[in-house]
Formats: sequence, C-alpha cells, structure tokens
Amino acid sequence: MIYSKEELFLAISTVMDPEVGFNLVEMGLIYDAKCDDEGNVKVTMTLSTKACPMHQMIQQWVKESVEKMANIKEVVVEVVWEPVWNITMADDNVKKALGG
Amino acid sequence: MFSVSQDFAPPFKLISPFFILGSLFYLLASFSVFSFSPENLFILDTNVLALVHLYLLGFVMMIIFGAMAQLVPVVLEVGHSAVELFYAIWPLLGIGVILMVLGFLEYPALLPYGGTVVLISMMIFVMEIFATLRKVKKLNIVMSSILISNTFLFFGIIFGLIMALGYSGTIDVDIYALLSSHVALVIGGYITITLMGLSVVLLPMFGLSHGFSMRPLHISITLMSISIVLIVISSFVPYLFIEYIAYSLALASMLIYFYLAYTIFTTRARKEIDVYVLSLLYSYFSMIVSLIFGIAYLFLSNEVLLLVSGWLLFFGFFGFAITGHIYKIVPFLVWFERFSPLVGKEKVPMLADMLPKKSSHAQFVFCAIGVSVVAIAIFLQNDTLIKAGASFLVVGAMALLRNIFYMINYK
Repeated sequence: MIYSKEELFLAISTVMDPEVGFNLVEMGLIYDAKCDDEGNVKVTMTLSTKACPMHQMIQQWVKESVEKMANIKEVVVEVVWEPVWNITMADDNVKKALGG
Repeated sequence: MFSVSQDFAPPFKLISPFFILGSLFYLLASFSVFSFSPENLFILDTNVLALVHLYLLGFVMMIIFGAMAQLVPVVLEVGHSAVELFYAIWPLLGIGVILMVLGFLEYPALLPYGGTVVLISMMIFVMEIFATLRKVKKLNIVMSSILISNTFLFFGIIFGLIMALGYSGTIDVDIYALLSSHVALVIGGYITITLMGLSVVLLPMFGLSHGFSMRPLHISITLMSISIVLIVISSFVPYLFIEYIAYSLALASMLIYFYLAYTIFTTRARKEIDVYVLSLLYSYFSMIVSLIFGIAYLFLSNEVLLLVSGWLLFFGFFGFAITGHIYKIVPFLVWFERFSPLVGKEKVPMLADMLPKKSSHAQFVFCAIGVSVVAIAIFLQNDTLIKAGASFLVVGAMALLRNIFYMINYK
C-alpha cells in the first residue's frame, strides 16, 4: 500500500463543493479510499443529492486530485447511494456553519 | 451507477437569452401594472389580459423553458433529444408574446398571429420534451410530473389558439366556455405541476434536505391532474357540481403540496436565510393567501377576490419561486461554463460569491412590497395604492434585470 486512507483523504480534501463552499471530505461525502501496492486507487463516495448537475465533474475532480500524488497508476471513483448521505456525516465545523 | 447529467447540459449561450428576455418581460409586466385602475379591474379587460399574457408567457414560461433546458437532463437522467431546438424557442416565444400583447391592447387582428407563433414555440418545446422522455426507461414521480405537465400544456395551447381565433373573429366559438379550461390546463396543469415536480429536486438540493416523504407529491399531483380534467369536462358539460369538485381537489392538492414544501424546509441541513430562502418563503406565503382568497371567491362570487387570488398566485407564488431560483440557477450556469474548467488550476469563486447580495436583497424587498401593496390595492379598489405598488415593483424588476446581467458578466 503506497498511501494510507488518511493520505488519500487529505489529497481529496482539496476538492470543494462550489455550492456549499466546503471540501468533499469535511462534507462527509467521501466514504472510503484504498490504494494497493501498484498504485491503483479506488475512491468510494456519494453526493448530497442524486440530481446533482455537477455529478461527473465532481467525480473528475476527485480523480484528478488523487492522480496528482506521486506513483499513482490508476484511479477509479465509484459513486454510491447507500448509505444515503445526510448532514450527520459532515464534520462539526460544517454542521455548525450550515446551522444544522 | 447514476447517469451523468452534465454530459448533456446545453451551452450557456443557449440558455442565457431565456433569462435575459424573461427578466425584460418581467420589467415590462411591472410597468404595465400602472395601466390598472379600479375601472378596468375585471378579468376579461384587455389591459388585464395583456398583462397576464405578458407576465405568464413572457416571464414565467420563458424562464421555465430556459430552466428546463438545463434541468431536464438532470431530472430525466438522459440527454436532450434535440437541444438545438431551444435556439428557436425563445425568439418565437418572445415575438409571439409581443404580438399577443399588441393584439389585446390595440390590434385584435394580431392575436391569432401571436397565438400561432406562441403555439409553434410551445409545440417545439413540448415535442422536444416528449422526444427526450421517450429515452427514459423507467419513469419516477418527478419524470412523470414532467410528462403530465407537458401533456396538459399541449392541450392548453390548443385551447388558447382556438380562443385567439375566436377573439379575432376568425372562427365562432364560445370563448368564455373555453377560458376556464385554458387557464386550468396552462396554470394548474403545466406551471403548477412543473413547480411541484421540480420542488422535490431543487429544494432538497439547495437546502440539503433529507428524510422527507415523497408521498405528498404523489397525492398532490394526482389530485391536481384529476382537478384539471374535471375543469376541462365542465367547460363542455356545464354542471356546477363538477366545477366545485374540481376546485376542491385543486385546493386540496395545493395544501398537500404546501405540506410537502414545509417538510422539505424543516428537514434541511442548511439553515441560512439567504435571498433564495426569503424568496421561497414569500412565494409560499403568497400561495396560501391566494388560496384563501380563492376559497372566498367560491363562496362569495366577488370577482375582486378572484383578482387578488390570481395576482398573488402569479406575481407572488410563481414570481418569487422563479426569481429565487434565478439566483441559484444563473450563477451555477455561469460558473459551470466559465470557472469549472479552471478548478485545480487556479482559485475559483464559490457560487455564493457570484450573487450581488445587496442588490438581490433590494430586488426581493421592492418586489415583495410591490406585490403586497398591489394585492391590497386590488382588494380595496384603490388607484393610488395600485400606482404605489407598481412603483415598488418596477424598481424591483429593474434590480432583477441588473442582477441577471451582473451574474452573467461575473469574471
């Protein structure tokens, strides 16, 4: 394993949701990230709504944020809808800022 | 895997004319409120008809059509069947509206021409939506709402054209018998059901709402659809009880829809009260007051009550639901076109940064005061108050136009 989950999350945290103004990790939208010994990465994430018009673009940004890391071979970003995202998955600072 | 909506998103240059032209018509409609006076305040007065068509076709329909160009792929999860057709829709709709308004005000002979041009633009829209819907494998409730609303629109414009031909003397028809069907099909069948369906997509998206039930949407759309069909039947089979059942169902539908909007609002994670939320609060408040006046009209048969109800429904409920969403949709479209390619390469603005905060709040305040004052003025039949309300409305409409240009030109 070249990178830990925390290191991958740190890279993905550069991706912002332009509507709410928080990064995807603190929003709780990134469920998991794994990297094998060859540098193949799989990111499992969700979106706050199925009808998000930036669906594919956000996926692409997540992919690019990981690809910037050294020795990464391939990045697969899978969007899942279970469990359904809700505000309790977000960091406390997000909840506080949104008023939730 | 969920379908990728923005692959099918139309270019901004295709959508922006709808918003610019729509806000221009909103300004013109606001100016035309000055032509109201207690003497001409009845439903079939030509000034009132001109305003209603200027506002509903020029502003409400224009903005909805533009928004649907963007939202249909998001909601239906498939690309447009022929998105280029939208390049023809806004000029035709714009020209048709102008001809119709001139027809109502000065030259009745122009009415069928205007009506036909509007009919063509709407038929293009409806057929494009139907063709896009054919690509959908399984319809959910939101997709069904688009199918239902566009079917009602199809019949609504046919009724409208027949009325326009009758109004100009081309054919001999009972315009009054067709009027309620035309109004019900377009206002209840298309605009209201479209707003209902899109509400469960847009309100939770912007408010980050979760855990609300979709059942009220099913019920409200079903009741509204039955109501519309009954109103159309009552145009040809004049039994009063059918009309009363129809209006009761429409009322129940709106109240259940209000309950749905309330549950979405109360389950939202995003508690910020920005101009979007303020606009929606005023919109739903207007809807409830409009319903109260509508019920009062059913019992008292005083046309003034119906005028107040219609005013609040059109300028309050529809108007503020639309202007509120303009402040979400336009920044997104501009951001998507101009800034999304720069993500990861340089600092890009957040969507909220693209909103002119003071000016958008000023628009809300002036329009809200204007709509409220005109509603009171219609109720009291007070000429001075009508002019006062219209003044507020015009300033608010100017602010809206200015805000749209600000957002479109944001760099």
